[in-house]
Amino acid sequence: MLANAVTIVQDNWLLLLIGQYPNGPLGGLAATLILSVLGIALAFPLSVLVALARLSHWRALQLPATALVYGVRGVPLLMIIFWVYFMFPLLLGVSVPGSATMLCTLVLYEGAFLSEVVRAGIQALPPGQMDAARALGHSYSRAMRFVILPQALTNMLPSILSQFVSTIKDTTLGYVINVPELTFAANQINNRLLTKPFEVFLILALTYYALCFSLTQLAAWLERSIATRRAGPVTQPLVVAQ
Amino acid sequence: MKGFDLAALLLNPQFIAMLGHGLAMTFVVAIGSWLLAMSLAFVLLTIRLTGNRIAEACVAVYISYHRNVPTLVQLMLWYFGIASLLPDALQEWLGDHNAEAIFAIVALGLCQAAYFSEDLRSGLRSIGSGQAEAARALGHSYIGMMRFVLMPQALGNAMPALINHTVSLFKNSSLAMAIGVVELTHAVREVENESFRTFEVYLVATLMYLLCSLAIMAAGTLLGRRGQTAGAH
Amino acid sequence: MIRFQAVQKYYGSYCALSEINASVAKGEVVVVCGPSGSGKSTLIRTVNRLEEIQSGEVLFNGQNVHARLRSAELNRLRSQIGFVFQSFNLFPHLSALDNVVLSPWRVNAVSRAEARDRAMALLERVGLASRALSYPAQLSGGQQQRVAIARALAMEPPAMLFDEPTSALDPEMVGEVLNVMRGLANDGMTMMCVTHEMGFARDVADRVWFMDAGRILETGTPGAFFGNPQHPRAQRFLSDLRSH
Repeated sequence: MLANAVTIVQDNWLLLLIGQYPNGPLGGLAATLILSVLGIALAFPLSVLVALARLSHWRALQLPATALVYGVRGVPLLMIIFWVYFMFPLLLGVSVPGSATMLCTLVLYEGAFLSEVVRAGIQALPPGQMDAARALGHSYSRAMRFVILPQALTNMLPSILSQFVSTIKDTTLGYVINVPELTFAANQINNRLLTKPFEVFLILALTYYALCFSLTQLAAWLERSIATRRAGPVTQPLVVAQ
Repeated sequence: MKGFDLAALLLNPQFIAMLGHGLAMTFVVAIGSWLLAMSLAFVLLTIRLTGNRIAEACVAVYISYHRNVPTLVQLMLWYFGIASLLPDALQEWLGDHNAEAIFAIVALGLCQAAYFSEDLRSGLRSIGSGQAEAARALGHSYIGMMRFVLMPQALGNAMPALINHTVSLFKNSSLAMAIGVVELTHAVREVENESFRTFEVYLVATLMYLLCSLAIMAAGTLLGRRGQTAGAH
Repeated sequence: MIRFQAVQKYYGSYCALSEINASVAKGEVVVVCGPSGSGKSTLIRTVNRLEEIQSGEVLFNGQNVHARLRSAELNRLRSQIGFVFQSFNLFPHLSALDNVVLSPWRVNAVSRAEARDRAMALLERVGLASRALSYPAQLSGGQQQRVAIARALAMEPPAMLFDEPTSALDPEMVGEVLNVMRGLANDGMTMMCVTHEMGFARDVADRVWFMDAGRILETGTPGAFFGNPQHPRAQRFLSDLRSH
């Protein structure tokens, strides 16, 4: 079985890595990574805006933002993909490639989840920070920009990285609308070979595992190093009492 | 495209039946995998509490795998991959008994068990150490301490996380359509193809999902009100 | 009732208890005092084996607590020793009444109805019958500690151990807990208390043990100890206490 798996990788590594490029659109692992990175990068500014909207005192901002977050949290990603797949051409008037649909969906979906992370990060800061900034004469938006957000975002880095890992896992749903990413490539190989489905899907699973596991470990390391930096210089430990 | 016409959809018994069956199958998959996930989570937690190094490592690998591999890929590995390794007789039997749903329940259940077990473990760890000491000082056995003092508090502490992951589990049932389970999302596509009422169908299905998710979250808030005791003396 | 014989305890290379030889007779009230880090809490926690020892024996009612016991035997032994913690450790998911009912019912196999009656009587005795259905989070520190005492008494132990029972309380609540303890002493309970409350020691204790650096340096009646301490470390301790 192992020999089979190795052969499959040897024969198909290019397809798994970059899809059918240059004979087709860029696909495989490369497409997965590009979708994920672009997805989280574009979702991030959206998430900050939504988080600030949820935290604001103006109902006009707070209610739609809250509705958006609850809505996205309550509906399966697949359903949202179908909505975007259907609405996009309607709104733009032109037919849209699957990748664009997927990217747009990811930005919306990850943006909503990421906004909860951002909101939690902002609320976790001691209220004294905002008080101090306002006392020094900063306006709310300047306080946010120069005092609150920089601190909150550094604290949130591990969580943002975790959300990135979730984004990578979510790209697999592109398979259902024929987006040429890694899962799609693996299915192409399986449809061609037909006799070794276990090996093909095991390779697929292990590839994602390697990718996501390393990123998760990076996030954990980041969290530890932020915590140590926060704790300050180490003092001499006291003798154990009683 | 024809104008918005919800009645054409809702008054057509065939379409309602299709959506209804889809929703029923969604519940079957969701409830089945939830029961599997919760039971397995307690088993995993018990294994971790034994303190056996090898057992703990095995559980850690299990959890790491199920959290880092995408759920859809796990489903595919089960339905396309592992199924092909099973003895022929078993494959035939499964084929006759809705194999897709069974594999979906197994795959989703095993996946969520990893998350639930981590939630329970966090819930247990957030209890102050004095609680275990007080229980032992009163003469409770290990099992008595777990049963009457620690696990009730652990469940209370873990409630928010468990509810969130239950909502995820419910939403993940839609992934089963990729292996051919005729749950709600699959039914939506079928009705869409037959009725051409894409917007209306999507709207109805979305509302159904939203209602169920919000119901789960509301149930969680109700249960959670009694639960939180983390950090108390 | 409680006997320490040549008890030694180490944390790694640090000696927490050194050559402890002492005993508490039936019906006696012993107060253990001393500076922080002297080993008082460690000592009392060896009685119900919340702390292990490396050598020596701790006997409770003639039984060696630190022998190789099966877990059922240790549990039975512990159920006989009442222990009150500095941080109360009430079970937050149970009402005050249920906290007191739980262990007689589940450990001593007392019927639930009888356990309930006993619990209400005990809560009455500590002055909290009216708060029986409240949860710990709704009770003040002093009230929680009194419930904790009732919880320990519910097991009908022949002896009660108190590990700094009032150290975590606001000053105005210390009195209500000490009054309950005073009542127990007057009723003839065998008690061993680690405490900083010297007034309580003076009034209620039959003997005072003074500890420092893991050793019992001086023992005596309260009158003798407070009036005329012999050991220089004890003298220093008492003068530090008086000076503020």
